[in-house]
Amino acid sequence: MKILKLWRTLKEGFQNFVRNGWLSVATISILTISLYFISLTFMIGITANLLLENVKEKINISIYFNPSAEESDIFNIKNRLQTFKEIKSVEYISKDQALKEFLEMGNNDPSIQQALDEIGENPLLASLVIKANQSDQYDIINQAIENSDFRDQISRINYEKNKIIIERLNKIVNFSREIGLIIGLLFIMIAILITFNAIRITIYSHKQEFEIERLVGASNLYIRMPFIFEGIFYGFSASIVSVIMLLITAKLLSSFVQRTISQNNLMSLYLANFWSIFGILFVLGILLGVISSFIAIRRYLKK
Amino acid sequence: MERSKEIVRMENATKTYPGDFVALDNINLVVNKGEFVSIVGQTGAGKSTLLKLIYAEEDPTSGGVYFNGRSVKEIRRKLLPFYRRNIGTVFQDFKLLPQKTAFENVAYALEVNGEPTEEINEKVPGILDIVGLGDKLEMYPRQLSGGEQQKVALARAFINSPQMIIADEPTGNLDPISAWDIIQLLLKINTLGTTILLATHNREIVDKINKRVLVIEKGKLVSDIKRGRYAI
Repeated sequence: MKILKLWRTLKEGFQNFVRNGWLSVATISILTISLYFISLTFMIGITANLLLENVKEKINISIYFNPSAEESDIFNIKNRLQTFKEIKSVEYISKDQALKEFLEMGNNDPSIQQALDEIGENPLLASLVIKANQSDQYDIINQAIENSDFRDQISRINYEKNKIIIERLNKIVNFSREIGLIIGLLFIMIAILITFNAIRITIYSHKQEFEIERLVGASNLYIRMPFIFEGIFYGFSASIVSVIMLLITAKLLSSFVQRTISQNNLMSLYLANFWSIFGILFVLGILLGVISSFIAIRRYLKK
Repeated sequence: MERSKEIVRMENATKTYPGDFVALDNINLVVNKGEFVSIVGQTGAGKSTLLKLIYAEEDPTSGGVYFNGRSVKEIRRKLLPFYRRNIGTVFQDFKLLPQKTAFENVAYALEVNGEPTEEINEKVPGILDIVGLGDKLEMYPRQLSGGEQQKVALARAFINSPQMIIADEPTGNLDPISAWDIIQLLLKINTLGTTILLATHNREIVDKINKRVLVIEKGKLVSDIKRGRYAI
């Protein structure tokens, strides 16, 4: 019997939802936009993180040694460095290797070779390329190298520039995270207000009926459930539409990222999380709907 | 004293509204099961207020109101709907749900009880047939005459087979013929055992009915006659 009554209130709620016509369309639209922006923020967050990781991968400290440094010394230093727990890898690039890579980068332009011939000897320096386990450890590593006993063998440490890039990127990521949170909260409030308004209007248009329904023996719950369901329908519809919009955005975003930094696992990352994204949106949408209904009922269905 | 025959009892029931307006003053009465009671009095005498105390739309300021021996004012707000399913109500303004058809209006009284759809589909046409509206099931209240709307309201009041029906000026908005139709239906329902409380100031009807009459004047119960005529 309870299920039958629940079903009847659901039908009534659905009827109200449908009969509201354009009001429902407007409400769902704004609710959709809110849900969309909230999840877009998260999506951008994930993407930004991915980009950041990608860039961090390429970050390193390069130590360029004096031309007088012996290869065996450099190898010693390499082995010592590899014992640091903060250091992930150390790669040795000899003078000859450096020359080879330089020429390749210049597409084997013959004029470069000519210039080198003029100089006579290989002007490039041997280097150690150091990658840290985490990007915030480069500072410590840099310090250690500056204070090390082999400092005088080093011509130059190429670190400062990378540091600036990392810091800038970190700032961007944190900033967008904060903005995202604020925007998200803002949109949640807007969503609740809009849905609340739609349901309030439905309640108003049925006001004279509540007294009658109560006289005929309808319980408070029986009278209120249709409005809860109406809220659920709003949330449900909005989450469906916003998921579709998100999928389209994901496709566009991942192809953009792919073209930019040839990272092509973004789409699969999105899809892997598809059910949790959809699930969260679904629950969020319905929750927003129910909360709005509650507030509307509380305020306008006294007694 | 046979308490089990009593359906309504009021003991020193008083209702005062803010501003010291005394709507009901020390009402004492007993209605037994199966009775047909007309409550008469001028407009504003307190007839409606008396009925409101019984179907718990208002609480008495002092004194007791009992239905089947249970105190009405002690019924918790949340349980009022269940209490009201024992009492069918009919009003001067019909109080039909405007966006539901005649069928749906009557069916609603069964739906709130959780009655299965098949039973509803059987009972409702039946009862609308009895009141003469068998061919108007799908009509909306705005498409029905006053008399027809009241018949729908009466069908709704009766479909749950309540112990009692309270009719507050049911004929107030009706022409004499429709009015008598309604009264006849009430009398018929009464013969089936349902207690009827009828508030009215239509003297012809009261005289015709010729059953128990309670007279309310300025909030006081001034007379209680077994087989009465309208006399104020």
